[in-house]
Amino acid sequence: MIDLLTLILFIPSLGALLLLFLPREQEKLIKWSAFVISLVPLGLSIYLWTVFDATKNGFQFETTYVWYAAIHSSYHVGIDGLSLTMVMLTTLLMPLAILASFSIKDRIKSYMILFFFLETGLLGVFLSLDLLVFFVFYEIGLVPMFFIINQWGSEHGEREIWGGRKMSARAYASIKFMIYTMAASLGLLLAIQLIGVSAGTYDLKELFKVWPTLQTFNHITLAWQPDTIKAVAFWAFVIAFALKVPVWPFHTWLPDAHTEAPVAGSMILAGVLLKLGAYGFLRLVLPLFPAQSAHYAGWLGLMAILAIILGAFAAYGQNDFKRLVAYSSVNHMGFVVLGIAAAAAAIGTENATIALNGAVFQMFNHGLSAAGMFFLVGVIYERTHTRNLDEYGGLFPLMPVYGGILIFTAMGSLGLPGLSGFISEFLVVRGSWPIFTLYTALAMIGLLFTGAYVLKGIKQVLHGPLNEKWSGHISEINVREIIVITPLMILMLWLGLWPSSVLEVINRAVTMLF
Amino acid sequence: MVPLSWYLIFSAALFAIGLFGVLARRNVIVMLMSIELMLNAVVVNLIAFWRYGDTMKMDGLAFALIVFAVAAAEAAVGLAIIISVYRRRKTVLADEINLLKW
Amino acid sequence: MTIETLIWLIPVPPLLAFFLIWLFTNRNKALSHSVAVGAALLSFIGSMAVFWQAVNHHELGKEPFQSAVNWLPVADGWFRVGVLVDPLSAVTLFFVAWTVLMIFIYSIGYHNFGQPKGEHDQPGLPPHGAKIADSHGHLHTVPSVEPMYSRFFAFIALFAFGMYLLVVSDNLLTMFMGWEVMGLCSYLLIGFWYAKPSARAAAIKAFMTTRVGDVFMLLGIVYLYSATGTLNFRAILYNQDVLNQLAGASSGFLGLSVAGAISLLLFVGTVGKSAQFPLHVWLPDAMEGPTPVSAMIHAATMVSAGVYAMIRMFPLHTAGWEGHGLTASMSVIAFIGVFTALFASIIAVSQNDIKRVLAYSTIAQLGYMVAALGMGAYVAAAFHLVTHAFFKALLFLGSGSVIHGMEHGVMHTEEHIDPQDMFNMGGLKDKMPFTFWTFLIGGLSLSGFVVVTAGFWSKDEILARAWGGEHLVIFSVLVLSALLTAFYTMRQISLTFLGKPRTTAAAHAQETPWTMTMPLVVLAFFSVTAGWSGISPHFPLLGGILPNWFHEFIRETLMKLPEPMETSYIPLIASIVVSLGGLSLGWLVYHNHPAGAPDPLKTSLGVFYRWMQNKFYFDEVYQFLFVRPSFWFSETFVFKWIDRTVIDGFLHSFAIASDFIGRFLRTRFDLPVINGFGDLVGESSKKFGKSMRVIQTGQVQQYMVAALIFVFGTLIFYLYSLP
Repeated sequence: MIDLLTLILFIPSLGALLLLFLPREQEKLIKWSAFVISLVPLGLSIYLWTVFDATKNGFQFETTYVWYAAIHSSYHVGIDGLSLTMVMLTTLLMPLAILASFSIKDRIKSYMILFFFLETGLLGVFLSLDLLVFFVFYEIGLVPMFFIINQWGSEHGEREIWGGRKMSARAYASIKFMIYTMAASLGLLLAIQLIGVSAGTYDLKELFKVWPTLQTFNHITLAWQPDTIKAVAFWAFVIAFALKVPVWPFHTWLPDAHTEAPVAGSMILAGVLLKLGAYGFLRLVLPLFPAQSAHYAGWLGLMAILAIILGAFAAYGQNDFKRLVAYSSVNHMGFVVLGIAAAAAAIGTENATIALNGAVFQMFNHGLSAAGMFFLVGVIYERTHTRNLDEYGGLFPLMPVYGGILIFTAMGSLGLPGLSGFISEFLVVRGSWPIFTLYTALAMIGLLFTGAYVLKGIKQVLHGPLNEKWSGHISEINVREIIVITPLMILMLWLGLWPSSVLEVINRAVTMLF
Repeated sequence: MVPLSWYLIFSAALFAIGLFGVLARRNVIVMLMSIELMLNAVVVNLIAFWRYGDTMKMDGLAFALIVFAVAAAEAAVGLAIIISVYRRRKTVLADEINLLKW
Repeated sequence: MTIETLIWLIPVPPLLAFFLIWLFTNRNKALSHSVAVGAALLSFIGSMAVFWQAVNHHELGKEPFQSAVNWLPVADGWFRVGVLVDPLSAVTLFFVAWTVLMIFIYSIGYHNFGQPKGEHDQPGLPPHGAKIADSHGHLHTVPSVEPMYSRFFAFIALFAFGMYLLVVSDNLLTMFMGWEVMGLCSYLLIGFWYAKPSARAAAIKAFMTTRVGDVFMLLGIVYLYSATGTLNFRAILYNQDVLNQLAGASSGFLGLSVAGAISLLLFVGTVGKSAQFPLHVWLPDAMEGPTPVSAMIHAATMVSAGVYAMIRMFPLHTAGWEGHGLTASMSVIAFIGVFTALFASIIAVSQNDIKRVLAYSTIAQLGYMVAALGMGAYVAAAFHLVTHAFFKALLFLGSGSVIHGMEHGVMHTEEHIDPQDMFNMGGLKDKMPFTFWTFLIGGLSLSGFVVVTAGFWSKDEILARAWGGEHLVIFSVLVLSALLTAFYTMRQISLTFLGKPRTTAAAHAQETPWTMTMPLVVLAFFSVTAGWSGISPHFPLLGGILPNWFHEFIRETLMKLPEPMETSYIPLIASIVVSLGGLSLGWLVYHNHPAGAPDPLKTSLGVFYRWMQNKFYFDEVYQFLFVRPSFWFSETFVFKWIDRTVIDGFLHSFAIASDFIGRFLRTRFDLPVINGFGDLVGESSKKFGKSMRVIQTGQVQQYMVAALIFVFGTLIFYLYSLP
């Protein structure tokens, strides 16, 4: 009998193989079977949620198989509250993303297969408890995403690069995404090798015990102090994950990739892929490098508030609706990193726990609201074929239901109290205030401009005099699209009113993390 | 008994005639016949060496028989090719059948 | 059902109504307003029951109704949220429930329920009126029903939820949630006619300006939470140890104590929400919204909520206060309040739009309350909050009724005039008697007309406190502001209702339906009687006839019970003189203002009048100082320069370098050396082959000769090379 986690992890890949045998012309069949297959991991993870014992410490549902015995690496999976939340988010967003992709007309089969491989990659990161396996899954996710952006990204648009040359925007975005992330992962790979070789194991549970206090590095011939070696390894980790989150100044791949990706691609990018970075901080950086984290937390906090503030400003300065939403991710993920930085500076205190609660909850909430926002941008793009805010105007009377949904989701993104984003932002701010008082106060500028850009979006799209060119040409949001957005809205509202349903699991996990 | 050299001279002459025929005559059929002639010269050689060598060993005879078989096969195939070529090109002259050049 | 359960249930009906209307009854106007008004009624009944229980509860201040549940898991403990009704919330609940219910009913008439649909009406714009033929076949333009009728009720229901949530919360966090939900509704309702660019801009301005305050308030909440480990009102405010500790510790910021810093941070939230200087700019623009919205959100409830929050946190704001003099944060609060009261009254004098006058008046009155709090006059501020809610809601609804009547006239005569400009009105007294009399009551209450009106008692209390606390500057400024208030109120009443109609539209104005006048009458009742509950026992002649119920009741909210003020004649006389003086001055100047004549103030005040009318150019200055720079900063600096040029440029430099190295290797090494060698081999083979191909003649006999020669050659070589 295969264990539950492995099942969740590989069912998407099996589904991809299954899709391979469906005839290419049967688009309807492919779409629906992809949707049904994607519901299986969701069902399993809901089951997992119910059988998960939130009161127990440490990892549950652990399984180990021999994978690469020669270098002491094994296939080791397990979950705690932290990864459970992320698995939940991934498996929830995937069916919605697939449903949102039903309007794709081009090579639907390859598209769906790529999405399933992407899902396995993402879940693998959250589930694996082996450093090397973690890295493998971390990198696997890049490949499908590259093709999704490169092949199914927005067809129009050019990006001017150096020397007055131009290239198609989606090619630019996908290559930037791929190369930038890969480049940052090189350091991560080296640091992982360093840890694995010197500690003699890649197993995370072992490493949590051994590595933070390790002072002699077997087989490592660097003539540096142990602290220097650890600091270098720490920064290799931090840069890789900071780029993925992303924090300022590593964020510029994000607006490009998010803007050019197809709707579902943006949903998964913003909803899950960015969480890999934050998850890396929580799962690896803080437990493995507690001393270094505390020492360099101020820098991390600085990068985070720059992401919060400048992300909000950059979003406000956009004329492209999708890029506006993309920059909002920089802003929101900044709060995640601020919480992590605050927690790193004061590990073990109540403030740190609150900040981490906020950070993890913010990851989840941002997954909901950003995915929702990108989807709604996609809905309007499919009808108008423009993303330029100046070309909309007064669409509310034409699509009142869509307008209501957009305002709701935008308010979720803005962090309106009563919706889930507020709780997490409040917890982050509460946790970091005693630790980084100045940074937290400065982050309020970002919070203020969050309001500004969200209102700018609503103003340009829905409000104002009707742009006559659209009247009669725009249809209301359809039932399929409403089905995509409804679960996100319900969750945002529910978690805003009753946050403990998720926070209890998170709280237990982050209390036990250190 | 006739000395061996006579046979050899005879066979060499026969071979030379055949060779000449192959190289000099234009008609492909004649060339084929000349090849048969050369083969026969070889057969004469084989038989002669067998007779003057160890008669208990049957190798010369066996070779001769194989050569006959090959000659027969070759004639059959060769004539078939020639007929086929003739049907298409209405000629059996070797210098007019020069398709195999660069 | 226990009283606590009932309190939990008070905010629920409006929230359910919001979702019901949004999701199900959207298409049916009658059903939508029934759901909304029904929900408001349920909450109203609940609130009255709670209020009644609260009033009859012995020592409510010491043992308030409260109940809480675990809500947020925080490290090893829980953050609990719950409901709390102490005297302050009970009183607030009372006036909120009344005003909300009245305004819900009023909205039915205001949005022309029962009228036909307009031919040219479209969602997002105010209705233009419908043409109907009477029995003689003449076409008349009559008001048409609001196209987004149901949506309006959904929004105000959500708003009511926010307000109730704010009032019954037992902690700052859920109070802040209600606060922000109201902010959202305010945004949505100001921008209700979203297709009007002015409404759209006003909505954004309101949201952003209050958000400035809100982020500071969030910091204050967070600071308080960090400092005390709880946000529960009782745990912080009813606990002298906590307050002393907060007042004693230094925040390390400008020499403020922790309590002072938190107090100021929270106060900025109120400055935003209650439109105090310098964040007052949004409230006048907010008059773009439908009038019930102005009445409810921008007079009776939401802006009052800002002051309510101040009153609620009063022990924190005054932590470390010895009872005389003012602490640092109190001085700031008092200064802002006093300045706002004067400054907004000055602007109000010069405004011509009937609703804008009231908007500035609201700002000024809220300034009054803030100033009272800054002086430590707890009961007076709460008292004025209640009376102001009633009479200002009344005035707004009255002005809405006036506008409605005027619009009727405008449609009838098809004149192209602004139905909100007071100089286009005049003589409405006879056309709209209900509106006139109720508006008059509201106006007199606002200007503190002697003895009978509620405004007199509450304003007098504040002035008495200012005098008694020896804050002479505050006192004199407030008196001046009261004079201006009385003046512009009478100016408004005279211009609107008295004299002769200045336009034909005004001559054809018509009284509004009962759904609009009934709430006016109810509110007028409270605008008078609410004041009688708080007459100081030391007041000459009248003191002691009625019990000073309000004071006795509300002060129990605090640990240290404030004593009623010794009445001094100077503030009393001052208050009577300015109120009567201002009223009569306004009547003298404006009671017979002829049509087309300029405002007499314009000629007498000159340049200063233009400053006043342009609100001292605050909008322009903010536009120049904040709005445009932040847009430039966002678009040009952050996006185009930092992100696109600096960071992307840095990244591109790697690409350029790789590109260069790649090109170099290709053109200088790969192409010439490696490809060159390969090509050489290929090319020379080709050449050799070419030169050799002539021997392929296709002549089989030539080949045979060649073979023969080769065989002979080999043979000869072999023979000769034998050893």
